[in-house]
Amino acid sequence: MSFLDNIAAGLSLVANFESFFALFVGVAVGTIAGAIPGLSATMAVALTLPFTFSLAPTTGILLLLGVYKGGVFGGSIPAILIKTPGSPASSATILDGYPMAEKGQAGKALGMALWASCTADAISNLSLILFAGWLASFALKFGPPEFFTLILFSLTIIAGVSGESLLRGALSAILGLLLATVGLDLIYGTSRFTFDNANMMGGLNFIAVLIGLFAIPEIISLVWKPKSMDGKTRSLGDSKVTFAEYKRSFKSIVRGSFIGVFLGSIPGIGAAPSAFLSYSEARRTSPNKENFGKGEIEGVAASEAGNNGVAGATLIPLLALGIPGDVITAIILGAFMIHGLQPGPLMFIMNADIIYGLFIGLIVSSVFLFFIGSLAIRGFKHVANVPPSVLFPCVMVLCTFGVFAVNNNLFDVGVMFAMGWVGFLMLCFRVPAAPFLIAFILGPLLEDNFRQAMLMSNNSPAILFRSPITWFFWLVTFLALVAIVRAGITATRKADKSADPVETGMHESAE
Amino acid sequence: MSIRTIQFRLGIGTMICSAFLIFYAIPNWVTSPANVPKIVLSPVFWPMVVAVFLALVGAGLLASARKFDKSADSISESSDTDHFAEYGRLAALAVLMIATVYVLPLLGLVWTSMLTIVALALLIQSRYPKTVVLCAIIVPLVLYAFFAHVAGVAIPQGIFLRLP
Repeated sequence: MSFLDNIAAGLSLVANFESFFALFVGVAVGTIAGAIPGLSATMAVALTLPFTFSLAPTTGILLLLGVYKGGVFGGSIPAILIKTPGSPASSATILDGYPMAEKGQAGKALGMALWASCTADAISNLSLILFAGWLASFALKFGPPEFFTLILFSLTIIAGVSGESLLRGALSAILGLLLATVGLDLIYGTSRFTFDNANMMGGLNFIAVLIGLFAIPEIISLVWKPKSMDGKTRSLGDSKVTFAEYKRSFKSIVRGSFIGVFLGSIPGIGAAPSAFLSYSEARRTSPNKENFGKGEIEGVAASEAGNNGVAGATLIPLLALGIPGDVITAIILGAFMIHGLQPGPLMFIMNADIIYGLFIGLIVSSVFLFFIGSLAIRGFKHVANVPPSVLFPCVMVLCTFGVFAVNNNLFDVGVMFAMGWVGFLMLCFRVPAAPFLIAFILGPLLEDNFRQAMLMSNNSPAILFRSPITWFFWLVTFLALVAIVRAGITATRKADKSADPVETGMHESAE
Repeated sequence: MSIRTIQFRLGIGTMICSAFLIFYAIPNWVTSPANVPKIVLSPVFWPMVVAVFLALVGAGLLASARKFDKSADSISESSDTDHFAEYGRLAALAVLMIATVYVLPLLGLVWTSMLTIVALALLIQSRYPKTVVLCAIIVPLVLYAFFAHVAGVAIPQGIFLRLP
């Protein structure tokens, strides 16, 4: 099928009321969830997942993508107004957004955040459309050894950059791999850590692990130290972004968008580093660099462009290779699997209509984001005032219903609670949860590809170095490891010099 | 907790976990056929690899803990923190979660959820009791309506009171 045929097939799939409504609701839910301190975009996507089971695959996935897009932008609203980022990705927005709010320009900062987010979102979506298909056609040359090395590379990056320490990231990833071994062995059908429990023979339910790991620890943290998250919401003040201001920041927005696209397309890096890199590049090249940190509108534009540029790009490895780029795309991968779809190069051949339908939906999501974002900015006061002591008990019930609905199985509810305590311990010991979840998803894939490669080569490990692709992935894995270890040593030296006691970040986000 | 303490405790825990896996869990809880021709294809191989890597990471954590300055070891927690109350609430939450799992088949998901919301709000010491009670009634009923009547999920109804 030609490109135009694919577009037509995708359009026929999404050009209906349900799809656009799902996308609209998704963006609205995501924006609201992102704007509530304590609820992150990840939690919002995880909690929305069970609601997609009864929907058509495209509609359900569009709903999740809408929540994702809305959540990334929504996080910037509390960052600007109450100096509390809705998600780690919005941390860089505080640097100039909050000083602007203090100067009575909260509306202007939010307006620029919205314009920058929508522009970056559009650029990111276009990059996805341009590059995912190309990468998928390249990935058709992949066999088990190539996939094994690719997954190994992805896990290395994810473990290395998700937290503040490579070792704790690696520990998280290894624990995820260990949990993925639970169930029946795929070759011999023998049991591994199942304790003769029929519920565990198919492995632990992905949704139960996911919600347990990302939603329940926040509830446990709140019970441990009930805290008030009430921030003082401000008046918006001057709320119009002029064309001259947008034009002045345009270069930083485009640069930030491409930084986001580049970092987002590498599995594991995520939105927060992209936002900070975009911000620092904008400051480095701006003629007003002395104003950065004091309420410079270009700083808000750059950081928002950086984090929203990631949103579409993280779908590039997911759709082209079947490798989730971050936790949210891992959840979206789960949604694909629940609907019987396996993202990857073959999907571009077997289900091209769904892929192109999603592309069209993503472009529409940028438009929805603009309108819903404009409304959300004005309605933030009502959203931010939801007390956590009312919100979180409801979230727990939402989790219970959602997890039960996956398999109609009460055992999964128990797994969710157990994983909640695991996630809480990880939070206490500052072990990042993202590598755990992604390793849990990629673990079976890693093992299967390794075993297939061994079967193909009659047990010779030389097959893992059989082609330039495998060599390439070994090389980048090695380079990534060296870079991460070097960064770790530098950070350790700095920490050693300052020797400041560090509080356990109980309420820091698990993303 | 300081970074040094965190790394040290994690390192010790990881080493113990690894030893437990290698010497007890894998030999007892992973079944492997007797006639596996290649060791790399054995069901035991992958968990063993993971356990060995776990040991390496544990050793790395312990080694890295030594690099941090001892002066960073002081635990800065406010003296007015009531640890007894904190851990008491955590224990109560654990009991609530276990009770939820066991009560679910008896009371059904909707009634259990209503009780859960109220109990959790009590644990958190919510200052909005009326709103909590209102949410405890509305949220489970709305979720029931969606999952049972829109998504077609068979929500457990319990043995006492059944919803349409």
